[in-house]
Amino acid sequence: MNPEPTQPQPAAPEPPRPTAERRPVPVWLFVLFFILLYWAMFYFDQRSAWGNQYVYAPYHSYAQLETFQAGAGGGNALGKQFFDNVCALCHNTDGSGKPGQAPPFIGSEWAEGPPARMIRIPLAGLTGPITVHGQEYNLTSMPAMGAAMTDEQLAAVLTYIRQSFGNKASEITPEQVKAVRAQVGSRTQPWTVPELQSVQ
Amino acid sequence: MKYGPLIFLAALLAMAGSWMGLVLVPQLQVGELVQTNTVPENATYPLARPGLASEGLQVYRANGCASCHTEQLGQTSTTCEVVLAAVGTNQSALLSALLKVKPELGEATAKTMLTELPQTVLVATNREDADAVAKDLGVGGAKARIRIVPQGPDLARGWGKRRTVAEDFLFDYPVMLGEVRIGPDLADVGTRRPDPNWHLRHLYAPQIEVKGSVMPPYRFLFETRRIDQAPSPDALSLPPQLAAKPGYEIVPRPAAKALVAYLASLRVDASLFVAPYSVATPAATNQPAASTNSAASASTNSPPK
Repeated sequence: MNPEPTQPQPAAPEPPRPTAERRPVPVWLFVLFFILLYWAMFYFDQRSAWGNQYVYAPYHSYAQLETFQAGAGGGNALGKQFFDNVCALCHNTDGSGKPGQAPPFIGSEWAEGPPARMIRIPLAGLTGPITVHGQEYNLTSMPAMGAAMTDEQLAAVLTYIRQSFGNKASEITPEQVKAVRAQVGSRTQPWTVPELQSVQ
Repeated sequence: MKYGPLIFLAALLAMAGSWMGLVLVPQLQVGELVQTNTVPENATYPLARPGLASEGLQVYRANGCASCHTEQLGQTSTTCEVVLAAVGTNQSALLSALLKVKPELGEATAKTMLTELPQTVLVATNREDADAVAKDLGVGGAKARIRIVPQGPDLARGWGKRRTVAEDFLFDYPVMLGEVRIGPDLADVGTRRPDPNWHLRHLYAPQIEVKGSVMPPYRFLFETRRIDQAPSPDALSLPPQLAAKPGYEIVPRPAAKALVAYLASLRVDASLFVAPYSVATPAATNQPAASTNSAASASTNSPPK
C-alpha cells in the first residue's frame, strides 16, 4: 500500500511465530454451562407452574390463579367446582347429605379422618351401611366417582370437603392421592366400612 | 465417517429433544383436555360449534383467512376492581368507610357517589387489597363486589375480555390460531360483531364497512342472480355503486353463510377457572354497554398498522 520505497532496515532477530496451542476447554466452563441450564429449566418451569395444565400466562402458579376466581377470595375453586358437579348430587352443596342415604360431611369423623381412608372411598366406591354422628346411612353403593379424576382434581375436591362446611382437617395433596391410588391398584370392588376402618 | 456414531447420537438427541418439547410435553399438558364448566355459572363449556359453523371453519381454512387473522388473545396481567353495588342501611358508616378508602374524595363528592350506584370505587388493584376494601365497605348491609379485569394490549383494543385458552378450541379441527395480524383478531368476533348481514356485506366489499381496510373482497362466495318472483330475504343490501342491476340480486352462496355462522360462533365470553374474569352485567359496571361497543368498533375500524 505504501508507494514509497522502504528504507532497508537492519535485520532484527525475528520474534517467534505465534502458534495456536491445543488446549482443552476449561472444566469450569462446562460446570457453568450445566448450572445455567439447570437454572434455566427451573426458571422456565416455575414461570409455567411446572407445566400445570390449569395455569396459563400471565399466572405463575396455581395458588395465584385461585386468588383471581370470581367467587369468595382465595379458597379452593377447583375443588368446589368438582364438588358441586359430582359430590353435591347426593351429599348436597352444603355437605349436609341425604337422610338415610348419603352421609353428611359437616363435622363427619370420616371427612376429617385419616387421609388414606378418605382417599380410598372415591377411588373404588363404598357399599353397605356407614355410621356418621351415630346415625346409619345406606345408599346401597356409592360409585367410584373419583376413579376418573386426576390426582390433582381428586386432591382438590377432598381438600375442599375437609376444609369447608366448618371442617378443619389437613389438606390432601396430589402426592397422597397418587400413593393411595397405587396401593388400591385396579380394584373396582367397592369398599366396606370394616375394610376402611382397618386403614389408618 | 470417523465420527459416525457421534453424529448419529447428536442427531438423535436433537430430534428427541425437540420431540419432547414440541410434542410430548404439550400432549401431557393438554392432551386429555375435556369439557369444563364456567365459573361461577357452572355451565358446560365449550359446546361444539353448530353444524353450519363447523362447516364454516373449513371455509375459513380453505380461503386462508388465518393468513391475515389470528384467533388468539394475549393477556399481560389481571387486576381487580371494587364496585359498590348497594348502600345498605347505615349510610354514614359507609360514607366514612368510603372516605377512608378514597380520602382524596371530598365528603360532598362521596355523598353524590353513593346516590349513583353501582359505582366503581377502586380500579387496577390486586386481590388482597380488593378483598380488604370490599370488607371495609361492607358495613350495614352495603354490598361491594369485586370484578376481575384482565389486562393486556389485545384486550385494550377491544378484541376480547380475557385471554384465549386451550379449552376455547376444544372442538375445532384444525385449530386456526393464525400467526399474522394483518387484520384484527377474530377470537371474540362473535360478540363484537353479532350482525350476520354486516359480515356478508363485509365479505362482499370490505371497504364499504371498514374504511381503508386492506382485506380483499370475497365475491366468489356470492352469486348474482335474476330475481324470479320475489327478492330473496338473503339478498345483500349494498350501496348503489355496488348493487346489482335492476331485476337482479346478490345472494350469499352456502359457503358464505357457513363462514358467517362460524364467525358468529367465535366467542370468548365465558369465565373459566383457568382464565377468570368478571362477566360484565349491567349491575356490575357503571359504564353503559354502548361505550364499550363503540370503543371496540373504533379500534377495529381503524386501518391495520
